[in-house]
Amino acid sequence: MVDVLTHVFSTFIAKGGQVSHVRGGLSSPCSALVVGDRSMSRSVLLLAALTAVSRRGMKVLFFTRTQIQTLPPSVQSCLPNLSPDSLKMIKFCYPQTLEELLLQVASLHEPVNTSPTAPSLVIVDRLQNFLCGPGGGGGFHQGEQSCAAHLSALLLDTAAFLTQVLECRAPGLAPCRLLASFQLELEAGPADPGHPHPVLAVLDRYFPARCTLDRDESYAAAAAGLEEVWRVDLSGAGPTDPTDRTSQEWQLVVFTNGLMEFRSV
Amino acid sequence: MRSFLPAVAEQLFKDIQKIYEEKSQIPDDLLIALKFVFGSCAVQALDLVDKHSVTCLSSPSGRKAFQVTGGSGRLYTCFTSCHYCPCPAFAYAVLRRNDGLLCKHLLGVYLSQAMGLTQQESVSDMYISTLLAGGAAAS
Ligand SMILES: [Zn+2]
Repeated sequence: MVDVLTHVFSTFIAKGGQVSHVRGGLSSPCSALVVGDRSMSRSVLLLAALTAVSRRGMKVLFFTRTQIQTLPPSVQSCLPNLSPDSLKMIKFCYPQTLEELLLQVASLHEPVNTSPTAPSLVIVDRLQNFLCGPGGGGGFHQGEQSCAAHLSALLLDTAAFLTQVLECRAPGLAPCRLLASFQLELEAGPADPGHPHPVLAVLDRYFPARCTLDRDESYAAAAAGLEEVWRVDLSGAGPTDPTDRTSQEWQLVVFTNGLMEFRSV
Repeated sequence: MRSFLPAVAEQLFKDIQKIYEEKSQIPDDLLIALKFVFGSCAVQALDLVDKHSVTCLSSPSGRKAFQVTGGSGRLYTCFTSCHYCPCPAFAYAVLRRNDGLLCKHLLGVYLSQAMGLTQQESVSDMYISTLLAGGAAAS
Protein backbone atom coordinates (compact mmCIF):
# COMPACT_ATOMS: atom_id res chain seq x y z
CA MET A 1 0.00 0.00 0.00
CA VAL A 2 2.92 2.25 0.53
CA ASP A 3 3.09 3.01 -3.16
CA VAL A 4 -0.47 4.36 -3.15
CA LEU A 5 0.17 6.33 0.06
CA THR A 6 3.38 7.74 -1.37
CA HIS A 7 1.43 8.65 -4.46
CA VAL A 8 -1.23 10.33 -2.34
CA PHE A 9 1.25 12.41 -0.46
CA SER A 10 3.38 13.32 -3.45
CA THR A 11 0.35 14.15 -5.59
CA PHE A 12 -1.16 16.50 -3.06
CA ILE A 13 1.99 18.27 -2.01
CA ALA A 14 1.22 21.96 -2.18
CA LYS A 15 0.78 23.17 -5.71
CA GLY A 16 3.57 25.57 -6.48
CA GLY A 17 5.52 24.12 -3.62
CA GLN A 18 9.16 23.73 -4.41
CA VAL A 19 9.64 20.03 -3.85
CA SER A 20 7.51 17.31 -5.25
CA HIS A 21 9.99 14.56 -5.82
CA VAL A 22 9.75 11.60 -3.54
CA ARG A 23 12.98 10.50 -1.99
CA GLY A 24 13.90 7.09 -3.23
CA GLY A 25 15.01 4.20 -1.16
CA LEU A 26 11.69 3.28 0.38
CA SER A 27 11.11 -0.28 -0.60
CA SER A 28 7.57 -0.90 -1.61
CA PRO A 29 5.84 -3.28 0.74
CA CYS A 30 2.20 -3.49 -0.18
CA SER A 31 0.68 -3.22 3.28
CA ALA A 32 0.70 -0.33 5.68
CA LEU A 33 -0.82 0.54 9.02
CA VAL A 34 -1.96 4.12 9.59
CA VAL A 35 -1.62 5.13 13.23
CA GLY A 36 -2.91 8.40 14.61
CA ASP A 37 -5.94 10.57 15.14
CA ARG A 38 -9.12 8.80 14.09
CA SER A 39 -10.75 11.43 11.87
CA MET A 40 -7.47 12.36 10.22
CA SER A 41 -6.68 8.68 9.63
CA ARG A 42 -10.03 8.16 7.99
CA SER A 43 -9.42 11.14 5.70
CA VAL A 44 -6.09 9.64 4.66
CA LEU A 45 -7.74 6.25 4.02
CA LEU A 46 -10.51 7.84 1.94
CA LEU A 47 -7.98 9.88 0.01
CA ALA A 48 -5.94 6.75 -0.71
CA ALA A 49 -9.11 4.92 -1.83
CA LEU A 50 -10.23 7.74 -4.11
CA THR A 51 -6.74 8.19 -5.53
CA ALA A 52 -6.54 4.48 -6.26
CA VAL A 53 -9.85 4.40 -8.14
CA SER A 54 -9.69 7.72 -9.93
CA ARG A 55 -6.06 7.73 -11.01
CA ARG A 56 -5.32 4.07 -11.31
CA GLY A 57 -8.68 2.45 -12.06
CA MET A 58 -8.38 0.04 -9.18
CA LYS A 59 -11.25 -1.75 -7.47
CA VAL A 60 -11.27 -0.86 -3.77
CA LEU A 61 -12.93 -2.50 -0.77
CA PHE A 62 -13.45 -0.32 2.28
CA PHE A 63 -14.37 -2.03 5.57
CA THR A 64 -15.63 0.20 8.35
CA ARG A 65 -18.02 -0.24 11.24
CA THR A 66 -19.59 3.19 10.97
CA GLN A 67 -21.37 4.36 7.84
CA ILE A 68 -19.63 7.12 5.88
CA GLN A 69 -22.42 9.52 4.89
CA THR A 70 -20.42 12.27 3.24
CA LEU A 71 -16.87 12.82 2.19
CA PRO A 72 -14.99 15.09 4.58
CA PRO A 73 -14.66 18.58 2.96
CA SER A 74 -10.89 18.32 3.26
CA VAL A 75 -10.89 15.17 1.12
CA GLN A 76 -13.17 16.80 -1.45
CA SER A 77 -10.87 19.80 -1.58
CA CYS A 78 -7.99 17.53 -2.55
CA LEU A 79 -9.93 15.98 -5.42
CA PRO A 80 -12.01 18.77 -6.95
CA ASN A 81 -12.63 16.87 -10.19
CA LEU A 82 -13.83 13.68 -8.59
CA SER A 83 -16.43 11.89 -10.68
CA PRO A 84 -19.35 10.01 -9.15
CA ASP A 85 -18.22 6.98 -11.16
CA SER A 86 -15.03 6.85 -9.11
CA LEU A 87 -17.05 6.57 -5.94
CA LYS A 88 -18.90 3.59 -7.36
CA MET A 89 -15.59 1.75 -7.72
CA ILE A 90 -15.28 1.73 -3.94
CA LYS A 91 -17.31 -0.99 -2.30
CA PHE A 92 -18.11 -0.08 1.30
CA CYS A 93 -18.72 -2.97 3.71
CA TYR A 94 -20.05 -2.47 7.21
CA PRO A 95 -19.21 -5.42 9.47
CA GLN A 96 -20.34 -4.78 13.04
CA THR A 97 -18.23 -7.30 14.91
CA LEU A 98 -14.80 -8.87 14.60
CA GLU A 99 -16.44 -12.18 13.62
CA GLU A 100 -18.33 -10.48 10.77
CA LEU A 101 -15.17 -8.71 9.59
CA LEU A 102 -13.16 -11.96 9.67
CA LEU A 103 -15.79 -13.82 7.70
CA GLN A 104 -16.15 -11.06 5.09
CA VAL A 105 -12.38 -10.87 4.58
CA ALA A 106 -12.05 -14.67 4.57
CA SER A 107 -14.66 -14.85 1.75
CA LEU A 108 -12.83 -12.46 -0.58
CA HIS A 109 -11.25 -15.37 -2.49
CA GLU A 110 -14.69 -16.64 -3.55
CA PRO A 111 -15.50 -16.09 -7.26
CA VAL A 112 -18.34 -13.69 -6.46
CA ASN A 113 -15.73 -11.30 -5.02
CA THR A 114 -13.00 -11.77 -7.62
CA SER A 115 -14.97 -11.47 -10.84
CA PRO A 116 -14.90 -9.61 -13.08
CA THR A 117 -11.89 -8.15 -11.25
CA ALA A 118 -10.35 -8.76 -7.89
CA PRO A 119 -9.84 -5.76 -5.62
CA SER A 120 -6.44 -4.05 -5.81
CA LEU A 121 -6.83 -2.28 -2.51
CA VAL A 122 -8.38 -3.53 0.73
CA ILE A 123 -8.90 -0.94 3.45
CA VAL A 124 -9.95 -1.49 7.05
CA ASP A 125 -10.90 1.65 8.94
CA ARG A 126 -10.40 1.82 12.73
CA LEU A 127 -9.15 -1.64 13.64
CA GLN A 128 -9.55 -0.71 17.32
CA ASN A 129 -13.34 -0.84 16.87
CA PHE A 130 -13.01 -4.54 16.14
CA LEU A 131 -10.04 -5.45 18.31
CA CYS A 132 -10.32 -3.52 21.54
CA GLY A 133 -13.17 -4.39 23.87
CA PRO A 134 -16.19 -2.07 24.17
CA GLY A 135 -15.09 1.24 25.58
CA GLY A 136 -11.47 0.47 24.68
CA GLY A 137 -8.70 1.73 26.90
CA GLY A 138 -8.06 -0.14 30.11
CA GLY A 139 -9.73 -3.50 29.65
CA PHE A 140 -6.91 -5.28 27.87
CA HIS A 141 -6.94 -9.03 27.91
CA GLN A 142 -4.63 -11.51 26.27
CA GLY A 143 -7.28 -12.55 23.77
CA GLU A 144 -7.01 -9.17 22.08
CA GLN A 145 -3.45 -9.89 20.98
CA SER A 146 -4.44 -13.21 19.49
CA CYS A 147 -7.42 -11.61 17.71
CA ALA A 148 -5.17 -8.85 16.36
CA ALA A 149 -2.74 -11.49 15.06
CA HIS A 150 -5.54 -13.53 13.47
CA LEU A 151 -7.06 -10.51 11.72
CA SER A 152 -3.65 -9.21 10.53
CA ALA A 153 -2.57 -12.61 9.26
CA LEU A 154 -5.89 -13.13 7.49
CA LEU A 155 -5.68 -9.70 5.83
CA LEU A 156 -2.10 -10.28 4.66
CA ASP A 157 -2.81 -13.81 3.48
CA THR A 158 -5.88 -12.57 1.60
CA ALA A 159 -3.91 -9.76 -0.04
CA ALA A 160 -1.26 -12.30 -1.07
CA PHE A 161 -3.93 -14.52 -2.61
CA LEU A 162 -5.65 -11.63 -4.42
CA THR A 163 -2.24 -10.55 -5.74
CA GLN A 164 -1.86 -13.96 -7.40
CA VAL A 165 -5.34 -13.64 -8.92
CA LEU A 166 -4.56 -10.15 -10.25
CA GLU A 167 -1.17 -11.20 -11.64
CA CYS A 168 -2.98 -13.90 -13.60
CA ARG A 169 -5.96 -11.94 -14.83
CA ALA A 170 -5.05 -8.23 -14.72
CA PRO A 171 -1.30 -7.81 -14.18
CA GLY A 172 -1.58 -4.03 -14.51
CA LEU A 173 -3.71 -3.89 -11.37
CA ALA A 174 -1.45 -6.13 -9.25
CA PRO A 175 -0.43 -6.35 -6.49
CA CYS A 176 -3.34 -6.20 -4.07
CA ARG A 177 -2.52 -3.59 -1.45
CA LEU A 178 -3.66 -3.48 2.14
CA LEU A 179 -4.22 -0.41 4.27
CA ALA A 180 -5.61 -0.37 7.82
CA SER A 181 -5.85 2.25 10.51
CA PHE A 182 -5.48 1.93 14.25
CA GLN A 183 -5.87 4.58 16.93
CA LEU A 184 -5.03 4.31 20.59
CA GLU A 185 -7.93 5.23 22.81
CA LEU A 186 -7.34 8.42 24.79
CA GLU A 187 -7.60 6.65 28.14
CA ALA A 188 -4.56 4.61 27.19
CA GLY A 189 -2.47 7.67 27.96
CA PRO A 190 0.62 8.89 26.15
CA ALA A 191 2.66 6.37 24.23
CA ASP A 192 5.46 4.81 26.23
CA PRO A 193 8.23 3.62 23.91
CA GLY A 194 9.32 0.98 26.44
CA HIS A 195 5.86 -0.51 26.67
CA PRO A 196 4.05 -0.26 23.36
CA HIS A 197 0.31 -0.88 23.36
CA PRO A 198 -0.07 -4.69 23.29
CA VAL A 199 -2.41 -4.68 20.29
CA LEU A 200 -0.29 -2.17 18.37
CA ALA A 201 2.81 -4.28 19.06
CA VAL A 202 1.11 -7.25 17.38
CA LEU A 203 -0.09 -5.16 14.41
CA ASP A 204 3.46 -3.84 13.92
CA ARG A 205 4.70 -7.43 13.82
CA TYR A 206 2.52 -8.12 10.77
CA PHE A 207 2.28 -4.86 8.84
CA PRO A 208 5.59 -4.19 7.06
CA ALA A 209 5.11 -0.42 6.94
CA ARG A 210 3.59 2.18 9.20
CA CYS A 211 2.30 5.68 8.53
CA THR A 212 2.20 7.69 11.75
CA LEU A 213 0.17 10.89 12.04
CA ASP A 214 1.28 13.19 14.85
CA ARG A 215 -0.36 16.50 15.67
CA ASP A 216 2.26 19.23 15.68
CA GLU A 217 1.40 21.31 18.74
CA SER A 218 4.45 23.51 18.48
CA TYR A 219 4.26 27.24 18.93
CA ALA A 220 5.30 27.80 15.32
CA ALA A 221 2.37 25.79 14.06
CA ALA A 222 -0.08 27.67 16.25
CA ALA A 223 1.48 31.02 15.41
CA ALA A 224 1.08 30.39 11.72
CA GLY A 225 -2.66 30.69 12.29
CA LEU A 226 -3.23 27.26 10.84
CA GLU A 227 -5.94 25.17 12.31
CA GLU A 228 -3.99 21.94 12.43
CA VAL A 229 -0.55 20.80 11.45
CA TRP A 230 0.26 17.10 11.32
CA ARG A 231 3.52 15.28 10.87
CA VAL A 232 3.12 12.35 8.53
CA ASP A 233 5.88 9.78 8.90
CA LEU A 234 5.94 6.81 6.58
CA SER A 235 8.36 4.10 7.58
CA GLY A 236 8.77 0.60 6.35
CA ALA A 237 10.98 -2.39 6.73
CA GLY A 238 12.59 -3.76 3.65
CA PRO A 239 10.91 -6.99 2.57
CA THR A 240 14.06 -9.02 3.08
CA ASP A 241 16.05 -7.11 5.64
CA PRO A 242 14.18 -5.78 8.69
CA THR A 243 17.16 -3.63 9.68
CA ASP A 244 16.82 -1.74 6.43
CA ARG A 245 14.18 0.62 7.78
CA THR A 246 13.63 3.71 5.74
CA SER A 247 11.32 6.57 6.32
CA GLN A 248 9.81 9.54 4.57
CA GLU A 249 8.19 12.54 6.15
CA TRP A 250 5.47 14.94 5.07
CA GLN A 251 3.56 17.72 6.71
CA LEU A 252 -0.20 17.83 6.47
CA VAL A 253 -1.82 21.21 7.03
CA VAL A 254 -5.54 21.58 7.62
CA PHE A 255 -6.65 25.20 7.30
CA THR A 256 -9.45 26.82 9.28
CA ASN A 257 -11.70 26.58 6.22
CA GLY A 258 -11.21 22.80 6.06
CA LEU A 259 -8.82 22.78 3.12
CA MET A 260 -6.03 20.25 3.38
CA GLU A 261 -2.53 20.52 2.00
CA PHE A 262 0.43 18.14 1.98
CA ARG A 263 3.93 19.55 2.09
CA SER A 264 7.14 17.62 1.79
CA VAL A 265 9.54 18.13 4.65
CA MET B 1 5.47 -18.91 3.94
CA ARG B 2 6.76 -15.38 3.98
CA SER B 3 10.07 -15.34 5.66
CA PHE B 4 9.76 -14.09 9.21
CA LEU B 5 12.43 -16.55 10.19
CA PRO B 6 16.10 -15.93 10.84
CA ALA B 7 18.41 -17.16 8.10
CA VAL B 8 19.67 -20.01 10.28
CA ALA B 9 16.16 -21.48 10.48
CA GLU B 10 15.62 -21.08 6.73
CA GLN B 11 18.90 -22.87 6.05
CA LEU B 12 17.98 -25.63 8.48
CA PHE B 13 14.72 -26.35 6.63
CA LYS B 14 16.60 -26.39 3.31
CA ASP B 15 19.15 -28.85 4.69
CA ILE B 16 16.43 -31.07 6.12
CA GLN B 17 14.61 -31.07 2.78
CA LYS B 18 17.76 -32.04 0.88
CA ILE B 19 18.86 -34.79 3.24
CA TYR B 20 15.38 -36.20 3.80
CA GLU B 21 14.92 -36.53 0.03
CA GLU B 22 18.05 -38.67 -0.15
CA LYS B 23 17.92 -40.66 3.06
CA SER B 24 14.30 -40.45 4.28
CA GLN B 25 15.55 -39.60 7.75
CA ILE B 26 16.99 -36.66 9.63
CA PRO B 27 20.56 -37.20 10.88
CA ASP B 28 21.43 -36.48 14.51
CA ASP B 29 23.41 -33.31 13.84
CA LEU B 30 20.39 -31.70 12.16
CA LEU B 31 18.12 -32.85 14.99
CA ILE B 32 20.44 -31.21 17.49
CA ALA B 33 20.48 -28.01 15.44
CA LEU B 34 16.68 -28.07 15.23
CA LYS B 35 16.38 -28.38 19.02
CA PHE B 36 18.95 -25.66 19.44
CA VAL B 37 16.96 -23.19 17.31
CA PHE B 38 13.41 -24.16 18.31
CA GLY B 39 13.76 -25.61 21.79
CA SER B 40 11.33 -28.21 23.07
CA CYS B 41 8.97 -27.38 20.20
CA ALA B 42 11.19 -29.35 17.83
CA VAL B 43 10.46 -32.78 19.28
CA GLN B 44 6.72 -32.10 19.52
CA ALA B 45 6.65 -30.80 15.93
CA LEU B 46 8.49 -33.88 14.63
CA ASP B 47 5.96 -36.01 16.47
CA LEU B 48 3.14 -34.19 14.62
CA VAL B 49 4.93 -34.81 11.31
CA ASP B 50 5.39 -38.50 12.16
CA LYS B 51 1.66 -38.81 12.74
CA HIS B 52 0.93 -37.11 9.38
CA SER B 53 -0.93 -34.38 11.26
CA VAL B 54 -0.39 -31.61 8.69
CA THR B 55 -2.85 -31.24 5.82
CA CYS B 56 -2.86 -28.63 3.08
CA LEU B 57 -6.44 -27.76 2.21
CA SER B 58 -7.23 -26.19 -1.14
CA SER B 59 -10.49 -24.96 -2.62
CA PRO B 60 -11.62 -24.45 -6.24
CA SER B 61 -10.80 -20.72 -6.02
CA GLY B 62 -7.15 -21.67 -5.49
CA ARG B 63 -7.12 -20.58 -1.87
CA LYS B 64 -4.99 -22.73 0.42
CA ALA B 65 -4.60 -23.16 4.18
CA PHE B 66 -2.82 -25.59 6.47
CA GLN B 67 -4.69 -27.60 9.03
CA VAL B 68 -2.77 -29.23 11.87
CA THR B 69 -4.30 -31.91 14.09
CA GLY B 70 -3.04 -31.35 17.63
CA GLY B 71 -2.22 -34.10 20.10
CA SER B 72 -5.71 -33.93 21.58
CA GLY B 73 -7.33 -34.13 18.14
CA ARG B 74 -8.12 -30.42 18.01
CA LEU B 75 -7.71 -28.82 14.59
CA TYR B 76 -5.61 -25.67 14.15
CA THR B 77 -5.92 -23.64 10.95
CA CYS B 78 -2.72 -21.85 9.87
CA PHE B 79 -2.12 -19.53 6.94
CA THR B 80 0.19 -20.35 4.06
CA SER B 81 1.78 -16.90 3.73
CA CYS B 82 2.31 -15.68 7.29
CA HIS B 83 2.65 -16.96 10.82
CA TYR B 84 -0.48 -17.38 12.89
CA CYS B 85 -1.81 -20.25 14.96
CA PRO B 86 -4.89 -20.09 17.19
CA CYS B 87 -3.21 -22.20 19.92
CA PRO B 88 -2.44 -20.80 23.41
CA ALA B 89 1.32 -21.33 22.99
CA PHE B 90 1.41 -19.02 19.97
CA ALA B 91 -0.57 -16.34 21.88
CA TYR B 92 1.61 -16.61 24.95
CA ALA B 93 5.15 -17.47 23.87
CA VAL B 94 5.26 -15.87 20.42
CA LEU B 95 2.93 -12.86 20.67
CA ARG B 96 3.00 -11.91 24.33
CA ARG B 97 6.45 -12.88 25.59
CA ASN B 98 8.15 -12.73 22.23
CA ASP B 99 10.44 -15.57 23.29
CA GLY B 100 9.64 -18.17 20.67
CA LEU B 101 9.72 -18.10 16.90
CA LEU B 102 6.97 -20.60 16.26
CA CYS B 103 4.58 -22.89 18.08
CA LYS B 104 4.83 -26.65 17.50
CA HIS B 105 2.01 -26.53 14.93
CA LEU B 106 3.69 -23.94 12.71
CA LEU B 107 7.04 -25.68 13.05
CA GLY B 108 5.22 -28.90 12.15
CA VAL B 109 3.99 -27.23 8.95
CA TYR B 110 7.54 -26.17 7.99
CA LEU B 111 8.98 -29.61 8.71
CA SER B 112 6.19 -31.49 7.02
CA GLN B 113 6.63 -29.31 3.91
CA ALA B 114 10.40 -29.84 3.97
CA MET B 115 9.99 -33.60 4.34
CA GLY B 116 7.22 -33.84 1.75
CA LEU B 117 4.84 -35.40 4.26
CA THR B 118 1.96 -32.91 4.00
CA GLN B 119 -1.42 -34.49 3.24
CA GLN B 120 -3.49 -32.87 0.50
CA GLU B 121 -7.23 -32.35 0.67
CA SER B 122 -9.77 -30.53 -1.52
CA VAL B 123 -12.57 -28.61 0.16
CA SER B 124 -15.24 -26.13 -0.99
CA ASP B 125 -14.66 -22.37 -1.18
CA MET B 126 -17.14 -21.72 1.61
CA TYR B 127 -15.59 -24.36 3.83
CA ILE B 128 -12.16 -22.77 3.58
CA SER B 129 -13.65 -19.28 4.17
CA THR B 130 -15.19 -20.45 7.43
CA LEU B 131 -11.94 -22.04 8.54
CA LEU B 132 -9.86 -18.96 7.70
CA ALA B 133 -12.30 -16.80 9.65
CA GLY B 134 -11.61 -18.96 12.69
CA GLY B 135 -14.87 -20.86 12.69
CA ALA B 136 -15.11 -24.60 13.05
CA ALA B 137 -16.49 -25.69 9.70
CA ALA B 138 -18.75 -28.70 9.95
CA SER B 139 -17.10 -31.61 8.21
ZN1 LIG C 1 0.04 -23.61 17.43
